[in-house]
Amino acid sequence: MSTKGTRIPERLQIPFAGITPAPSQEKGQDLFPTGNWRSIRPVYRDKLPPCNNACGTNEKIQGYLDLVKRGKYLDAYALIKEDMPFPSVTGRVCYHPCEQACNRGKYDEAISIRAVERFLGDLGQALTHDVVKAGKSNGKKVAVVGSGPAGHSAAYQLARLGYTVTILEKSPKAGGLNRGGIPDWVLPQNVLDREIERLEQLGVTIKTNVEVGKDVTWDDLKKNYDACVLAVGLTEPNSVRAEGENKDGVLYGLPFLRDIGMGTSKVKLGARVAVIGGGNTAIDCAREALRQGAVEVTMITVEANPQEMPAVPEDLHDMREEGVDLMHGRAVTAVLGNGKVEALQLHPARFSGAINASPITVDRDAAAQRFAVDNVIIAVGQRASLKWLPDEFKTERGTIKIDRFGRLGDTNIFAAGDIVQLGSGQPLMVVNAVGDGKRVAFNLDKVMRGEALQPRTIAVDVIFDLNRMNMTYFPHFPRVQQELLPPASRKKTQDEVIQAFTEEAAVEEANRCFSCGTCNACDNCYLVCPEPCIARSERSNGMYKILVDYCKGCRVCIEECPTGCLEGVPELDFDTGVVRMDTAFAISPGLHGRQAEELRNLGDRAAKNI
Amino acid sequence: MATIEVQRQLLPILDSPNQGARFYNPELPSSEPFVPGHRTCAGCGPSIQYRMTSKAAGDNTILVGPTGCMYVANSSYLCTPYNVPWAHTQIGSAGSFTAGVAAAYEAMIRKGKWKGAFPNIICEAGDGSASDIGLASISGALYRNHDCLIICYDNEQYANTGIQASSRTPYGGMTTFSPPGPEVPEGKKLFPKDLARMMAAGHPHCYVATASVGYPIDLMNKVRKGLNHKGAAYLMVYTPCQKGFVYETPRSIDLGRLVVECGLYPMWEWNPEKRAFDYSFRPASMRPVSEYLKLQGRFGHLHAEHIATLQKFANEQWRMMGVALPEALIHATDAKNLVNMAAAAEAEAVAQTL
Ligand SMILES: Cc1cc2nc3c(=O)[nH]c(=O)nc-3n(C[C@H](O)[C@H](O)[C@H](O)COP(=O)(O)OP(=O)(O)OC[C@H]3O[C@@H](n4cnc5c(N)ncnc54)[C@H](O)[C@@H]3O)c2cc1C
Ligand SMILES: Cc1ncc(C[n+]2csc(CCOP(=O)(O)OP(=O)(O)O)c2C)c(N)n1
Ligand code: SF4
Ligand code: SF4
Ligand code: SF4
Ligand code: SF4
Ligand SMILES: [Mg+2]
Repeated sequence: MSTKGTRIPERLQIPFAGITPAPSQEKGQDLFPTGNWRSIRPVYRDKLPPCNNACGTNEKIQGYLDLVKRGKYLDAYALIKEDMPFPSVTGRVCYHPCEQACNRGKYDEAISIRAVERFLGDLGQALTHDVVKAGKSNGKKVAVVGSGPAGHSAAYQLARLGYTVTILEKSPKAGGLNRGGIPDWVLPQNVLDREIERLEQLGVTIKTNVEVGKDVTWDDLKKNYDACVLAVGLTEPNSVRAEGENKDGVLYGLPFLRDIGMGTSKVKLGARVAVIGGGNTAIDCAREALRQGAVEVTMITVEANPQEMPAVPEDLHDMREEGVDLMHGRAVTAVLGNGKVEALQLHPARFSGAINASPITVDRDAAAQRFAVDNVIIAVGQRASLKWLPDEFKTERGTIKIDRFGRLGDTNIFAAGDIVQLGSGQPLMVVNAVGDGKRVAFNLDKVMRGEALQPRTIAVDVIFDLNRMNMTYFPHFPRVQQELLPPASRKKTQDEVIQAFTEEAAVEEANRCFSCGTCNACDNCYLVCPEPCIARSERSNGMYKILVDYCKGCRVCIEECPTGCLEGVPELDFDTGVVRMDTAFAISPGLHGRQAEELRNLGDRAAKNI
Repeated sequence: MATIEVQRQLLPILDSPNQGARFYNPELPSSEPFVPGHRTCAGCGPSIQYRMTSKAAGDNTILVGPTGCMYVANSSYLCTPYNVPWAHTQIGSAGSFTAGVAAAYEAMIRKGKWKGAFPNIICEAGDGSASDIGLASISGALYRNHDCLIICYDNEQYANTGIQASSRTPYGGMTTFSPPGPEVPEGKKLFPKDLARMMAAGHPHCYVATASVGYPIDLMNKVRKGLNHKGAAYLMVYTPCQKGFVYETPRSIDLGRLVVECGLYPMWEWNPEKRAFDYSFRPASMRPVSEYLKLQGRFGHLHAEHIATLQKFANEQWRMMGVALPEALIHATDAKNLVNMAAAAEAEAVAQTL
């Protein structure tokens, strides 16, 4: 071996003749630091799994699935609680963008993440004491307006940060749309009650029947609290602007569901019900209508076919199983009847633009169709009710105007959830509201502590490409399915339709996870290195290190890492005219974080310092 | 004379923690009898095999290294990467030297001069040594049933002297002794010696198995079974050599899987008690041989008819193991359905998986 042109540190400059030190397990055969053969260095660099990335609150999904695999359920629950106050709720109601993004979906079937989340959430509910504790009090008072997912999440994170939080809620019961929107057969009330109890156990005060704008004024808010989070959601239903829409028997989806959820409903449905709208709320209304005694339920949508409906496919499927009919490509142009709805007048219609939120073109020249009904439920979206808010903080869409940190101007007031996300391109869903509430809580804390708000600048490497992993290690395996109550019996009751995973099912499903881009301590790199120069003190992510004195850069470890956590970086950088060969002699402890840090900074360091 | 109880190590078999779709290696032994700082090529298959074998064997082990890469590249300036006793022996004397070590320990135990468990005595012979030059001495050690494990790390050539053909070099494999040319376009005309089967047939009282670096846990378990077997054991392990096979170094393990999936390296165990072969090992998929060949420069000169010949050979191996052949593999035995290796782009088009 020639060492010409290479700087060898003193401790490795042993005389070559005469001394032949015995090899040792700790140091290897240190007469030959073969690391200077290398032109590519393997580094451990965890990537962001697409599931974590897609989750509205960036739950560490890969992390808790990995813990579930090992039977460490409590750790998994604690991990999920970092970002999600109520996994038992999202484990039931979430539209699971994580599953749509899951890499396994491109391979066979996506991981049933939501079902595992529910398993953990229910486990948490069964604990006598929650794992999460309130932070040490900092003496600051924050008001959170609205107790929906965004408000709940903000209050939860603020309590953990040591704030004294009061939630103001205009409804008689806390929960927002979780209570008065999402039906009981998706989210039983007692599950939600328990999560709200848990929030109160963190020291959060919830004042129901208190409406901002009526019981509490804007000025009261500013005067009585150090800071404030507005999470008021969208409380007013949109109309279809059809003639005769004010007739008896015409209902709006949101109040229809809200009153049932709050236990104040007086609605009696007739046998034939039409639901107007093609989204998730419309689906909930149609299925709830069956449970409220309707016999024939028809959903009337502008979308030309089921695929175009902005709805979760599974829910659409379950609705059709329950016997709801679909009628596509129609708009309601008038509600007919003598004081009370008797029929709908329908015309062919379609969206004028590419997306289904674009204006509707109705073909009024075509013959009108008469569709006999006893009730109609209109579910075509919601809007805000912000009469109490100064105009300077309103957008032209009628939502709250915020900067990119969720802040209203330079006030100590922030806003989160549907009330800011409507029309932002962000789909309106519980998990997005939760994530928004969390981020806003952290920003609020920064402002209170006088720290500068900084947008996230580090580019995150999301691992979408299966070629960056080694798929030979993953046999095809079907997704574990959640059981459903049979359609005939479930459509008459408020019983939860989708059944929980058993422990075995949760583990089996977690086992399917690829652990995309994130080391799960499978030990493969450690086993296949020909030198072997991969060492670990303990079998765990972050504890693998590459003895760069010896690594020849064969990249077998990189190729054979199932998760794609290992990657190669060029050892020689000819751009600066410097041969960085002596990095081969820098024994680094190799902990992933440190090593990655070292490499990130390599480019910034002056050549002479390397 | 009082008989002395020989204490044996009886290494536990590693079980797989893989459940369903999960991939996870079992808890591995912590000792490292093979340490870095040796001068084998980057990505060396025999080295990978050495790492796994020695880790499976543990610290109470004695290694014997006949001449070959695992001796020459590994021991320079009187220094070796072996953290356990190791000795070089001449390439032809692999078996006799190993037999001597085993006999010495048997004698020392009998005389009460060695206390403690009988060491794992492992000979790591290259295919040049095991299949040609040292064949007789290894056969002798197996025949006399010395308590040792003889491993042929099979890189299908004499690597250390600069890639010459051995009797294990496959049909069509280019080496410096089997260059392709106008007269012999396929390079090597002869088929490889069926070495492991020959050892099983000739020494039926021994544990004999084939293994590959592509299946590390299986390899480590076969090493342990061989060591636990009272008497002689023999393993032939596929170990790709990037210098001789001419491939990208990261593919070392991948080739170890592909060679089995393409039917070119049947995996089996010979059970000395039942006197029967166990062919139950099944790779995850079955592929045409071209999948394996196209990754290696040593096969870069092959014509369609040569590939077809290799496919027939592979199909025979599958039949021998009692595996039903999918249509595509039968299809691939007809040269008309294949393309010459030189047309790499066309070769890529061959169906990926069956
Ligand atoms: C019928 C329906 C079903 C849905 N189903 C799902 C689902 O299954 N999964 C999913 O992910 N998403 C679902 N969504 C969407 C999801 O519920 C919302 O995106 C989410 O609840 C938004 O949370 P938020 O906290 O911003 O608002 P909200 O949940 O609307 O909460 C706002 C709260 O603020 C209170 N409030 C409003 N104004 C005042 C005031 N002036 N003073 C005091 N309190 C006030 C309201 O009473 C309410 O409690 C559904 C929506 C609807 C309408
Ligand atoms: C009797 C004798 N003949 C030839 C040699 C030269 N020689 C040294 S290493 C070697 C190659 C051995 O090949 P193999 O056993 O397959 O091991 P590999 O190098 O492939 O690892 C040869 C032929 C020798 N040392 N002794
Ligand atoms: S396989 Fe696992 S880590 Fe990868 S995207 Fe799916 S859930 Fe996330
Ligand atoms: S397998 Fe070992 S020698 Fe090869 S690149 Fe990885 S750490 Fe380096
Ligand atoms: S091979 Fe396994 S242990 Fe090594 S980095 Fe990849 S996931 Fe981690
Ligand atoms: S020539 Fe082949 S067997 Fe020898 S050290 Fe290099 S890769 Fe290993
Ligand atoms: Mg050889």
